[in-house]
Amino acid sequence: MDVALSKHGAWVLRAFFTLVVLFLYAPIVILLIFSFNSSEVPTFPLSGFTLHWYHEFLVNADLRDALKTSGLIAAVTSLGAVLLGVLSSIALVRRRFRGRAVVSALLLSPLVIPYVVFGISLLLLFHQLGVPRSVPTVVVGHIVISLPYTILVLVPRLQQIDATLEEAAYDLGASRLRTFRSITLPLILPAIVSAFLIAFTTSFDEYAVASFVVGPRATFPIYLYSALRFPSQLPQVIAVAVVVLVLSLTVIVAAEVGRRVVDRRVGAFDL
Amino acid sequence: MPLAWLAVFFVLPIAIVAGYSFDVYSLFPGPHGFTLSAWRAVAGDHVYLRLFWKSVKMSVIVSAVIVVLAYPLAYYLALSGTKRKYILLLLLIAPFLTSYLLRVLAWKVILGDQGVVNTFLFWTGLRSPDHPLSQLLYSKFAVMLVLGYIWLPFVALPIFVSLESLDRRLLEAASDLGASRLRSFWSITLPLSLPGVLAAFFFVFVPTLGEFVTPSLVGGATGYMYGNQIVDLFGTGFPDWETGSVLALFLIAVVAVLTVVFSRFLQPQQIAAD
Repeated sequence: MDVALSKHGAWVLRAFFTLVVLFLYAPIVILLIFSFNSSEVPTFPLSGFTLHWYHEFLVNADLRDALKTSGLIAAVTSLGAVLLGVLSSIALVRRRFRGRAVVSALLLSPLVIPYVVFGISLLLLFHQLGVPRSVPTVVVGHIVISLPYTILVLVPRLQQIDATLEEAAYDLGASRLRTFRSITLPLILPAIVSAFLIAFTTSFDEYAVASFVVGPRATFPIYLYSALRFPSQLPQVIAVAVVVLVLSLTVIVAAEVGRRVVDRRVGAFDL
Repeated sequence: MPLAWLAVFFVLPIAIVAGYSFDVYSLFPGPHGFTLSAWRAVAGDHVYLRLFWKSVKMSVIVSAVIVVLAYPLAYYLALSGTKRKYILLLLLIAPFLTSYLLRVLAWKVILGDQGVVNTFLFWTGLRSPDHPLSQLLYSKFAVMLVLGYIWLPFVALPIFVSLESLDRRLLEAASDLGASRLRSFWSITLPLSLPGVLAAFFFVFVPTLGEFVTPSLVGGATGYMYGNQIVDLFGTGFPDWETGSVLALFLIAVVAVLTVVFSRFLQPQQIAAD
């Protein structure tokens, strides 16, 4: 007998799970359907099949610029966040110092700060310093909010690594830098890749903080938000939405599958 | 170096907000110094307090409802013994990892007066085009529905983590001692998974409390939240940075208190279980 679930209960839960998954994916499927609909407005009944809206957004220069800007910001953000994340994680895991708990709390606190408050704080900071809002001001904000995510990925990985490996390297005369390059870095590389991806996607999709510190060059979410206010742009925004959603779902699944394959290989290697 | 970064771009900005709230800094030139007048004005103004209370209620309802919905999902994944539990978990969480704005957009398309739901009802004749279901979009309901939709996959994660670490032998022992499944659930499973439930609640409640993007897209007048008020005070119409700063600091203070209260239930791996 199963102690957690009766047969009947398992059936009910499976049905409920299926319903919820349908509810989660239905809006995405509806967008997919209407992205091919020829009418200007997304209404029933469907009026015919077209690829017009996909063509429309492919030739839309503003949109392409926004995607490029977001790509640039996300790339710089993820580099910066991973760099700071590696430094803080090593300090948190390997060093024993006073006030460690406070430091760790401070490093993770951007996880819980309301983005509206953080966005405004940055706005006031740049206003006070007389720094004009631009691409770098968005990068600054995005590094702060993605830093804790990189730490959350890196710290567990560092904790798994046997610290004696590093000590052995020191004993054999390797410098700190050499030890990091030859021992620590290769061992945490998978976690660095995950941290990079998380920081990249966080930044690429971030609207709330960016809305306060963005300059004349709109990011992709900023562009989307303003496009949502003009009904005439809706059909091509829906087409973009479908492309982005399908692409990101594919990347998520691919990353997960890839990680499992690597884990299995490494696991086999350990034996 | 990371600390210096956070000091300059995280702590200092919040300190400047505090400066504005006490009138040490001001948007307008002229003499000013430390006063509590902005704080007093907010404390005496029922509009802000009522709006805050309304946002708290909306966030509590959203968080509570989706925690209750997510619990059976996590329970199914963790305890039903299904072999594909990680694939199913990924299926559940994947929407959360895609674009936030685009998922709000989907609901805008679905709920509008001329949206998918209404035109479907007209088309099938269930409702006449003169009387659309007009409360769907631009309402408190729309804000809560969309926020629930956005956060539901995420909430399942901490609950799943706590249920997964549950020792099944406890349930077997209870069963051997004659307890029914329901009795085991109430006496063992639920209490042991409570930290995950509370963490889940916290991780949804905090961001939805300060939310301003979803309400500004689907909320209309009735869905207006505290976060929107803060944004508007810093907006282009009639900026009032002092009052806005007071509201922002008040929100941080509330979140800080909640974080301390909930901290014993929070474990970073609950949200990094990727």
